[in-house]
Amino acid sequence: GAELLALPRLRTLLAKNNRLGGPGSLPKGLGQAPLGRSLRVLNLSGNRFAEVPPALLGLRGLQSLSLGGNRLHGIPPDIQELRSLEFLYLGGNFITSIPPELANLPSLSYLVLCDNKIQSIPPQLAQLHSLRSLSLHNNLLTYLPREILNLVHLEELSLRGNPLVVRFVRDLTYNPPSLQELAGRTIKTRNVPYAPSDLPENLVRYLSLASNCPNPKCGGVYFDSCVRQIKFVDFCGKYRLPLMHYLCSPECSSPCSSASQSSTSQSESDSEDEASVAARRMQKVLLG
Amino acid sequence: FRYTRNLVDSGNGKFNLMILCWGEGHGSSIHDHTDSHCFMKILQGNLKETLFEWPEKKGNGEMTKKSERVLRENQCAYINDSIGLHRVENISHTESAVSLHLYSPPFDSCNTFDQRTGHKHKVKMTFYSKFGERTLCVSMGSLAKG
Repeated sequence: GAELLALPRLRTLLAKNNRLGGPGSLPKGLGQAPLGRSLRVLNLSGNRFAEVPPALLGLRGLQSLSLGGNRLHGIPPDIQELRSLEFLYLGGNFITSIPPELANLPSLSYLVLCDNKIQSIPPQLAQLHSLRSLSLHNNLLTYLPREILNLVHLEELSLRGNPLVVRFVRDLTYNPPSLQELAGRTIKTRNVPYAPSDLPENLVRYLSLASNCPNPKCGGVYFDSCVRQIKFVDFCGKYRLPLMHYLCSPECSSPCSSASQSSTSQSESDSEDEASVAARRMQKVLLG
Repeated sequence: FRYTRNLVDSGNGKFNLMILCWGEGHGSSIHDHTDSHCFMKILQGNLKETLFEWPEKKGNGEMTKKSERVLRENQCAYINDSIGLHRVENISHTESAVSLHLYSPPFDSCNTFDQRTGHKHKVKMTFYSKFGERTLCVSMGSLAKG
């Protein structure tokens, strides 16, 4: 109720196992009120929220938020407004996807997304440099983005209870690149100089969206046309993580090759070394 | 960020008595018990225990679930290697759980199993605290001592 708004020193509010969830569950103006500036820990687990209540997105000082065991179907992109958030518990909901904006939380260390209906992880999540613990067990993941190997500070990762693919899957549908894409690729890979005044604004923007092909022998880029390929990071046969790679063409191969492929160039073996270092690190981090 | 193992009594080398604290959503891997007797009592909250068959010698398939049950406050459970393997989890997203474990003889390593393949992996077990004192993060070797 609105009476709480005036409390200027309340840091922890535990309201779990209630029937909150309807409109007006949280008082309006929460973010601007004295309570909104002091609150550090908010636990709303075991309630009936069908969406993250917009009123709480203004809590810029909030460090810990739990909405476990509610009825959430998604996470709003404005979650990134919770700039101080370190701990986010969203387990036991009906969440189907993760917005890339979640990766904009600079202090996020502990992220729990277990027991949901998540089908894929956005690669941007690898930008969560302070992430130490990631709980993804009991979801609907079939693969992970290869960028997950970039989470160097990750200490715990739970993946059990996901239908992770165990066999190599080749995506056979490849849409050939458009002429615009081919022109864009040529400009980028041959470093054709251009100034913003040379091109219409939409093409300048298009050129800025080039993605680098992860194949170190390629050095190319792609825009919209890419090949999806699943490669496995193999932990000495004990556990295999399927990682999704986006490559610029079917002829390219990813750096995370399985051990059977022979490396013929220095650059390929360098990146395989990087990949195997990342794989060994990930092996220590994986929870069964 | 994971469940903690807190040693209470080392029983003159004959047993280990410890308290495990499980946050919301925390669970263990599938593991064996290194030929020891294991008793467990729930002190607070609930824990789900899922029993598994031992995988085949060179097993390469999904492990077989034998049974599962939710243990309530004050309930006890027992397991040893001849009974099978198990996974213990706090499946609550709102309540933490606390359990008391007695292992005899004591052991500091066990095998964990990948549910999808049955592959096993030996791990050293560590204590978050011993006799009420937090164990410091030094090398794994000293942490493993029961």
